[in-house]
Amino acid sequence: MPHIEIDGQSIEVAAGTTIMEAAESLGIYIPFFCYHPKLSVAANCRMCLVDVEKAPKPLPACATPVADGMKIATASRKAKMAQQGVLEFLLINHPLDCPICDQGGECPLQDITMGFANPHSHYQEEKRVVEDKDIGPLITTEMTRCIQCTRCVRFGQEIGGIKELGATGRGEHMAIGTYVAKAVQSELSGNMIDLCPVGALTSKPFRYKARSWELKHTPGICPHCSTGCNTDVQSLGKEVLRVLPRNHEAVNEQWICDKGRYAYTGLNAPDRVTQPLLRKADGEWAEVSWAEALEATLAGLEKLLARHGADKLAGLISGQSSNEELFLFQALLRGLGSPHLDHRLHQQDFRADAAMPLYPALNMTLEELEREPLIVLCHAFTRHQQPLTNHRLRKAVLNGGKVVSIDSIHQDFNFPVTQLVAEAGADSHLYQHLAEHFAHLHEAPQNDPLAVLARELAAADNPLILIGSALLHHPQAADLLAQVESIAELAGGRIGWLAEEANSAGAWLSGCVPQRGPGGHPLDAAGLPADAYWEAEMQGFILFGVEPGVDSMRGAEAVQRLANAEFVLSISHFAQEARQYADVILPMAAFAEGSGSYVNNEGRLQSFRAAVKLPGEARPGWKILRVLGDSLKLPDFQYSELSEVSAAWQHAVGDYGMDIPPFQAFPPIHAAQALPAGPLLRLGDWPIYQGDPLVRRAAPLHNPLRARMHPQQAHQSGIQGDVVEVSTAAGKVTLALELDTHIPLGCIWVPLGYSETAVLGAAYTPCSVVMAALPERQTKSLRAS
Amino acid sequence: MLSEKSLEAIAFERSKYPPEESRSALLAALRIAQEEQGYLRDEVITYVANLLDLPPIQAFEVATFYTMYDLKPVGRHKFCVCGSVSCFLNGSDRMIRHLSERLGIGLGETTEDGLFTLQEVECLGACKDAPMLQLGDRYYENLTPESLDALIAELRGGSTDVR
Ligand code: SF4
Ligand code: SF4
Ligand code: FES
Ligand code: FES
Repeated sequence: MPHIEIDGQSIEVAAGTTIMEAAESLGIYIPFFCYHPKLSVAANCRMCLVDVEKAPKPLPACATPVADGMKIATASRKAKMAQQGVLEFLLINHPLDCPICDQGGECPLQDITMGFANPHSHYQEEKRVVEDKDIGPLITTEMTRCIQCTRCVRFGQEIGGIKELGATGRGEHMAIGTYVAKAVQSELSGNMIDLCPVGALTSKPFRYKARSWELKHTPGICPHCSTGCNTDVQSLGKEVLRVLPRNHEAVNEQWICDKGRYAYTGLNAPDRVTQPLLRKADGEWAEVSWAEALEATLAGLEKLLARHGADKLAGLISGQSSNEELFLFQALLRGLGSPHLDHRLHQQDFRADAAMPLYPALNMTLEELEREPLIVLCHAFTRHQQPLTNHRLRKAVLNGGKVVSIDSIHQDFNFPVTQLVAEAGADSHLYQHLAEHFAHLHEAPQNDPLAVLARELAAADNPLILIGSALLHHPQAADLLAQVESIAELAGGRIGWLAEEANSAGAWLSGCVPQRGPGGHPLDAAGLPADAYWEAEMQGFILFGVEPGVDSMRGAEAVQRLANAEFVLSISHFAQEARQYADVILPMAAFAEGSGSYVNNEGRLQSFRAAVKLPGEARPGWKILRVLGDSLKLPDFQYSELSEVSAAWQHAVGDYGMDIPPFQAFPPIHAAQALPAGPLLRLGDWPIYQGDPLVRRAAPLHNPLRARMHPQQAHQSGIQGDVVEVSTAAGKVTLALELDTHIPLGCIWVPLGYSETAVLGAAYTPCSVVMAALPERQTKSLRAS
Repeated sequence: MLSEKSLEAIAFERSKYPPEESRSALLAALRIAQEEQGYLRDEVITYVANLLDLPPIQAFEVATFYTMYDLKPVGRHKFCVCGSVSCFLNGSDRMIRHLSERLGIGLGETTEDGLFTLQEVECLGACKDAPMLQLGDRYYENLTPESLDALIAELRGGSTDVR
């Protein structure tokens, strides 16, 4: 191992270590711009030049591997002259507009200039100006400030997985951009803002909102998927102004996705509720005091229970709720005598409920995922569902692993994935054929991808099979799950779950499913699952952080049932949907306003604190539930601090493992009927930015609503033009159409999660499609501007 | 977008490199496209990138880096005058000014009759005979205003083989 000396301190480092890394481990700071530990070495800024004994010229520390006996000086006259020279050159074309630059105060160029530059410049001539690029609603560009470090370019290529930014032109004309003006598509794009060492790339929604040093930092946990990224919520006064990643190597490294970064912009949506709302006898809504609202709630519940009994009361809670809220929610419903509560609004087939694991656990750490040689994704489009778990899968592929996806449509992965796509609705056949191939592994034809996969699985040592949320959304989920289990057995592989929501794991553990209590204890009298409440004609509902109209598979039906129910209490952040059917709306703390804890996909318990004060009269969810339980005189609701609820949750849930059996014993599953036939099959799922009430309202993330269809299918169905009318048994809607070869023949893809498409009912149902013209009426948007 | 012949030529270039190194064929593919089309429109660059399965921005980076690629229509004769150090010290500035006055166009521009384009390029490796320019696939060295005038006159006269 080479022995070297840096500034008189000696150290022995592994061969191949760079001077930069060696200096870092000695705690010696060498200034740098283009170097980044997570990116390849470009060595193009020359800021890190150091003086190496016997070397004729200063050498870049980031790109120079140490050699035995090297003597390095980082602050000798020669090193200093090099640093000053480089800075002088970098600043020649820099506008030095720090006073109006959002990066000011957190700018490496500013800091390094203060620390290392010669205050005098020889440059008298004109500076260059670079035209700004429009790269979408998330990132502002100020390209004259760019120092061409190419961190952003390397990020796209090496981390984001799609190269979108590039350096065009050369020499003095080199500029960073997309060349042909277009918005960047990567769901990780916001990280380029953090990487940019100057103010060339800054956050568009944050532009001119505050100076970095005025912001208060609060550690948060992202509520938008099960990866559980650690965030730094930055606020000024009562307003959340930015969400940035907080380093946690084991979870999100130093990244977050754009959903986690920008969803906060939905907090100011026009329908935010900050005052209890009560529907008066005349049907009008009135802002009332908490006392009045609670009184009405108690009266409503009591009347409901007296008239219909607790069996007609159902509870739906969001999988984004904290453990504490989930725990109190089930205690409230069960305390009132109702077994009907659930958090799985997206699901439509619950026949495999008894086989479900204690909680949807990855059964390994995210870091371990990177080293898996063979991973099969079962209906899991991780790139949009768990963007940073997806990043680990991408690394597994870069490390030489292989990822195979089985799904209903072709997905747009950002790394090479072998994709096996079911014919229209024949998902179960696909899994069945895969299983069958194990019986005659050596006879199968080489060109049958299923046979190849079976062989690879059989040959692999303990391959990994991951179950995605779209599998659970399928009308034949139970059959598919049973098939996946048997495939795992045939392959001698392991199963991991990709939990859907930030706290799906917590919801299962806390007992927010109808068949199990806290800690996963099976209940004697199981209640009905979420999708059954509409048909079962429930008369009373307690909704917590959900909008069943868009959060459930059969949105229109849900809204209708809710509107016809006798009493609906909505504990919510937003009022627009609840105003259609609720009797009382209680304003609840939203993202960054409350404290609590989540269990992420790995089983990691992570807690977060409120970053800002509650707006108006809104209250933390757990307090609302506690007051309700207390006023209803239910036992065990005498908490005064959150920590007491957390302790009670811990006690009730007990020690859950991080590596648990992926299935419990399957109940007998009667083969599901074939999907009903129709001219076409309507497929659909929740798109990346439509999955929860907050992100749906985040204007900068807005994705236009589009149906998608294979061009050949459109041709066969006689569709020209880009507007179609889609009709199912439940209803019909007119939508913009995009031709997309990712969608199999015989299908049309219509996303869920939009109020416009709720009328179509559940996905995987027959539909017909005809050409149409767009309706006059502009679709209403909820998003904050 | 490209003719069968060009596509074949690109496929041939592509076949010279291993499957995962399609970017190695990019320079040649862009050249072939330009030879056919005269210059590289954005759509052509994107098309070539897609042919090679590369992100379009990567093809744009290359196309904007090399002065040999033309991103807008150029005249029949393109004067590529070297402006790098040796040529600069030997008066390339004067040569450019001279050409510019004679042709009535600035750098990067094309004469109205579509005959001439004037461009400044980086060192072409003929420093020993600076100042120099490239025209088509030939170098013209030790330039003087007079030699430039003679060159222009010959080209105007329709000669395609100028020495
Ligand atoms: S935009 Fe920022 S990150 Fe990208 S090259 Fe310029 S300075 Fe570097
Ligand atoms: S990957 Fe998931 S947890 Fe992480 S920032 Fe994105 S949505 Fe949030
Ligand atoms: S940090 Fe070493 S050259 Fe940029
Ligand atoms: S400097 Fe002009 S050819 Fe080298």
